[in-house]
Amino acid sequence: MGVKIDALKCIGCMACEMACGYHRDDGFAFLSACIVLYRGREKKNYFGVILKEEERLVVARPEGVEVKIIGAADDEDASSEKKEEDASAKPMLLREPCDLCEEMKYGPMCVKVCPVDAITLES
Amino acid sequence: MEYLSSERILIVDLEAGEVSEDDLDEELVAEKIGGAGITKALYEQHQEGEPIVLGAGPLTGTLYPASSLAVITAGSPVTGHVCHAPVTYHAGIELKYAGYDYVVIKGRSNKPVYLWIHDGVADISNASELWGKDLWETTDALRRTLGDDLIQVLAIGTAGEDGSDIAQVGVNYWSSGDRFAFGKLFGQKNLKGIALRGMGLLEIADPEAFVDAAFELLSNIKDGAAAGKKGVEDICTAMGQADVKDWLAPLVHRYSACYNTPYPSHTFVFLDADPKKMTDPGTDEPGFRVTDVEALLGFKKLGLSAEAACRLMKACAKQGVDAAAVAELSGRAGKTDAGEIEASLSSLTGTVSLPGRGIFSPWSPRKPLFGDFSVSGEANDWWERRMAVAYVFGIHPIFAVMAPELTEESMLEITRIGTELELDGEVLNAVVGDLLS
Repeated sequence: MGVKIDALKCIGCMACEMACGYHRDDGFAFLSACIVLYRGREKKNYFGVILKEEERLVVARPEGVEVKIIGAADDEDASSEKKEEDASAKPMLLREPCDLCEEMKYGPMCVKVCPVDAITLES
Repeated sequence: MEYLSSERILIVDLEAGEVSEDDLDEELVAEKIGGAGITKALYEQHQEGEPIVLGAGPLTGTLYPASSLAVITAGSPVTGHVCHAPVTYHAGIELKYAGYDYVVIKGRSNKPVYLWIHDGVADISNASELWGKDLWETTDALRRTLGDDLIQVLAIGTAGEDGSDIAQVGVNYWSSGDRFAFGKLFGQKNLKGIALRGMGLLEIADPEAFVDAAFELLSNIKDGAAAGKKGVEDICTAMGQADVKDWLAPLVHRYSACYNTPYPSHTFVFLDADPKKMTDPGTDEPGFRVTDVEALLGFKKLGLSAEAACRLMKACAKQGVDAAAVAELSGRAGKTDAGEIEASLSSLTGTVSLPGRGIFSPWSPRKPLFGDFSVSGEANDWWERRMAVAYVFGIHPIFAVMAPELTEESMLEITRIGTELELDGEVLNAVVGDLLS
């Protein structure tokens, strides 16, 4: 079971990021979220979602989803992709991985809160 | 004010070049709730300094649907009224997460400055190198200088510096709902802009009950009349302008929303790249984010093509002029040529029409969209009360007129849950009455 992201459906509202932050901190905050809207190319209207899982990063871009194994050699490249992964106050690799909100009342909070069902749960 | 709040008010004295802080008094929140209710009170408290007051509502930046709004309250240099302009996108919430619920900016600096508010720290910085830059250049320069692409910027272009009566405070690269020439006021104070960034945490009095109520509301909204609709086009259709959809269609790239707002009210158009291409467009400035329905319809009414209208809106945003005012004043002057209108932006002057008491921005349509609000009585009275309530709690003012699920009772109830304050309809009526007095 895992979280599936359709970046083209995403409207960039950051509700998923806040819901995940709430799950982590029991308050409203963004700093600990493991799902993040990357939005550093604002003038280009290019945005998507990045999710940190146990051993991988799921980068959902408008053109498709890329899965990167954490620690693999190409992750060390200083590329624009790398910049997106770190386009937040706290680098993704330093955040706790997704636990599917297993102890929460609502299951994955990001799935529950997405207003356009861009984030779904797949078995 | 312990919950849903940074607990702090920032006081900026531009004349003295000093910043200080006040605590956000729980008694003030109990009396005025927040948002425009408190910004107006702070405006009156600091009136001798002709202040610009920024503020967030108690629900701003939470999981309550559409909780994206902050407000700029100030005396309009054109109408003289104390008015409230919306700050949305992702900028409204950034104020609160940067460490302050309210910011009072008073006096006038003797040289160009900008404010950098970040993680509970506020600096007044030299803006001499920004003065003369347009809005896009200013936002790029601030993000580059301060080292973060996600900094949210409220700033003026050259129109505000030059004292234009239709100068607007823009948000990042985009136009805003400032219909009150607050851009001119920034210029008069030698204030080029405000950069915001923060990673604060808002405590909740009863987290589980808050999220239960917010998710129930969201579920109702997802089953409601606005579900599945998007962009400025569907708003135009609801306003009786269905042909906008086909007119704009060849340019449409992708839709986006303000923070936690279920309706994507921004239609991004590509003007210098293929709108069907979803990969990085290559060019740095492929188009424009269209949110201002009034401006779009105004330019369409002049007979402009969709491309000409959107290019003009982009030019207005860069210079920092209110595109809706440009459309209205150009129409009055009989100008219908996009090139001629663009050439006149720096010299265009005149008084534009504002609805009702002229204190809330017609950036939000003045009638219910999609949803049934069972409006009785005068539509404008309904709209002004709806705006007042949205601006008090921190709710997106466009979504506020399309989602009847967001009732005044639900805003009060969830604020009570989140803050433990005993707020009721009587308090809200008093706050709204004061705003509309």
